[in-house]
Formats: sequence, structure tokens, C-alpha cells
Amino acid sequence: MTPDDFDRLQSLMSSRTGFRLTRDRMKLAEHRLGPVARREGFETVDAMLASLWAKPVASLGWSVIEALLNPETWFRRDRASFDTLARELLPALSKARGGQPVRIWAAGCSTGQEAWSLAIAAQEAGAAVEIVATDLSQRALEKARSGAYTGFEIQRGLKAETMLRWFDQAEDAWIARAELRATVHFARANLIDPPADDHRFDIIFCRHVLVDADPARRGEILDNLERRLVNDGCLFLGPDEQPDGDSIAFRPVAGRKGLFVKSPAALRRAA
Amino acid sequence: MGVVSRFSGTRTLTPRTCLIVDDSRIIRKVARRIIEGLGFEVDEAADGSEALAFCAGVIPEVILLDWSMPVMDGMTFLRRLRALPGGLAPKVLFCTIETRAERIAEALSAGADDYVMKPFDGEILTSKFAEVGAV
Repeated sequence: MTPDDFDRLQSLMSSRTGFRLTRDRMKLAEHRLGPVARREGFETVDAMLASLWAKPVASLGWSVIEALLNPETWFRRDRASFDTLARELLPALSKARGGQPVRIWAAGCSTGQEAWSLAIAAQEAGAAVEIVATDLSQRALEKARSGAYTGFEIQRGLKAETMLRWFDQAEDAWIARAELRATVHFARANLIDPPADDHRFDIIFCRHVLVDADPARRGEILDNLERRLVNDGCLFLGPDEQPDGDSIAFRPVAGRKGLFVKSPAALRRAA
Repeated sequence: MGVVSRFSGTRTLTPRTCLIVDDSRIIRKVARRIIEGLGFEVDEAADGSEALAFCAGVIPEVILLDWSMPVMDGMTFLRRLRALPGGLAPKVLFCTIETRAERIAEALSAGADDYVMKPFDGEILTSKFAEVGAV
């Protein structure tokens, strides 16, 4: 891979997804693109990229993009957020919703561990929820939908007791039970695309996405999240992430790292 | 990180303690490196009988326990530990190659706090320690 190839990959990622492919990921990018090249029938990564630049084919472009996104996730990542959700938010929101399910969006769900962790938290809190989990990567979504995890994956973040309660063992895999599946709907979505309908969520989990976003595009992503959130709705970011400094759309919640509440629209207009 | 060790009130100045019980020296070495990284003082035992002798002297806060070992297996050790004075206090995490759901359930109902399936890595062990409230 030449420096020129990498520059082009960087701008491809930024323009299509808002993802910032930092220069220190050059080796990683080359490593991840190897299997893509083989799958797509190219001799080498260089040959695949040359073909992509010469004649951009959407499907090949997206395969390349998917391979370069950051898929890192695990069950109950940043445990405190799931505890806040289960113990504080869901009981209050369930009551406020008057028996209607609380609507949760896992934005950037990767291979699904976050979505299942949300579903488990809701079931254990006895709260009715509808979880929509989206990601840009079709391959990540396929895995998420399968709900099947290796022993290595399943125990990263889950207690054995929780694993036995919510997953069935099938040969080498642990598979999410029907009770969990009934509450989660997986779909592909690009966080830089503005909402195309007026579906709103009470809670959005979008963790460790902004940290990888191109600074120039973070604002768009946050705007799109905000438009999907009801007034006074809750946004969970990673514990070390925050909306951009000048955002008045989200107020941080004291003592709850990574949790932000959407200010009512009227307030924002006044400000 | 907000989780306060239940021993912190009385033992704030002494490091937390963990006993690794495994007949494989390599596993003990790998686990020791990870657990020391979590701030624990680590001791080792090569089977359940050695571990029981250790616990008769001082009861560690966390025990990482293999199942199948010569002399005394992990399950026998666990049952005897829980019968010792103070033996209900330690968090016991099984750590074995046994991955069948019914065996895991058996270990939990015998009084294990959590269960690690080999192979494991630092992230898995760290998250298990966190989930049982050991760190």
C-alpha cells in the first residue's frame, strides 16, 4: 500500500462514513484489507486498491470501508452505564411511558454485544423495551443478528451466571435466547445520514463512535443523534467522550460519566 | 472505579490478595502476571490440597481455581473451603477448560462466584474480576 493509497482510503472513509482513519492505522489497514482482497478475487491489496481507484464499484468500496471501521466491542463495556440504565433510567422511563416500551437505539452496535447487553439489562430490570441496533457494516450486523458468540467473546464482560441465563450453548457457540431476540431489531444505518423518518428514541447508546470520527464530521453525527432523540432523552457516550464543546443540545449528568440529556428544543431556541 | 472492595475499610494499606490454584505452571504464570497487574498480591498452589493448606493459614480475597487437578480437584477444594471459618468470604472464580453449560451451572451452585473458560486473556480476567466486585 502506497502513501497515496492510504490518503485515498482516508478520504474515502471520511466522506462516506465520517470515520477518521488515522495514520497509525496504516499497517492495521493493510492487514485488514488482505482478506477483503482475497474474497473479492484480487491477487494483492495493491491490485484491489488500484482497481477501486480506477473504477469505483460501490460494493467493493463498501467492503473496503467495512474492513476499516473499528469493530471493537464487548458485553457490558463500561459497566457503569448499563447499571445506570437498569437501576435508574429504565424504572423511571417505564413509568413515564405508561406501559409503552422504552425505545432504545444502539447506534454503532458492531457485532451486537452492546445490543444484547441492553436487552439483558432491560429484562433483568423488568422493563419493556424496543431496541433498534444499527451499524454501517453488513458483516458486523450478520454476526450481531446471529447472536452467536465464541467462548472467548461471550465471557468478555458477562458473568457466567448471566451467560447461562440468557444464552444457549450449541457446540462451540453461545447463542442469544429468543427472549432477548424478541426485543432487538438490527438494521444497517450510516450515522452521517440525516434521519429519513420521524422515529424517535428515549435513549441512545452511541459509545466509542465519536472518538473515531473525523473532527470535521462529529457535529453532523451528533446532530443526527439529537434529531432521533426525544426532548429530555438520554444519550450515552463512552465514559471519556463528550459532545463538542459548544453543543448546547446536550447537558452532562453529574456523577454519570458519558451520560447526557437532550435539552428541550424551546430552551435551545432561546439560547 | 467506584467499586469499593469490601475489605477496604479495614485493610486499606495492605494489597488485596489472590490465590491461583492450577496444576499448570504456565497457566499460573500467565494468570499471575494479569492479576498482579490488577494490584493483587498473588500466591500459587498446584492442587486443591495445597490450596486448602494455604487457606487454613490465611484466606485470600480472590481465588482463581482450576477444576481438574491431581490430589484434590477444584470442586472438592471449593466445598471444603466454604466449610472453613471465613471460607465464605473469598470470591472464587473457576478457571478451567471445561465449557459445558451444565458443568458451569454445577460449579456456580457449588458456591463459585464466577467461571472463566480457558482459553482466557487479560481483558476477560479483568472483566470477571470487575463483575464479581473484586476490582
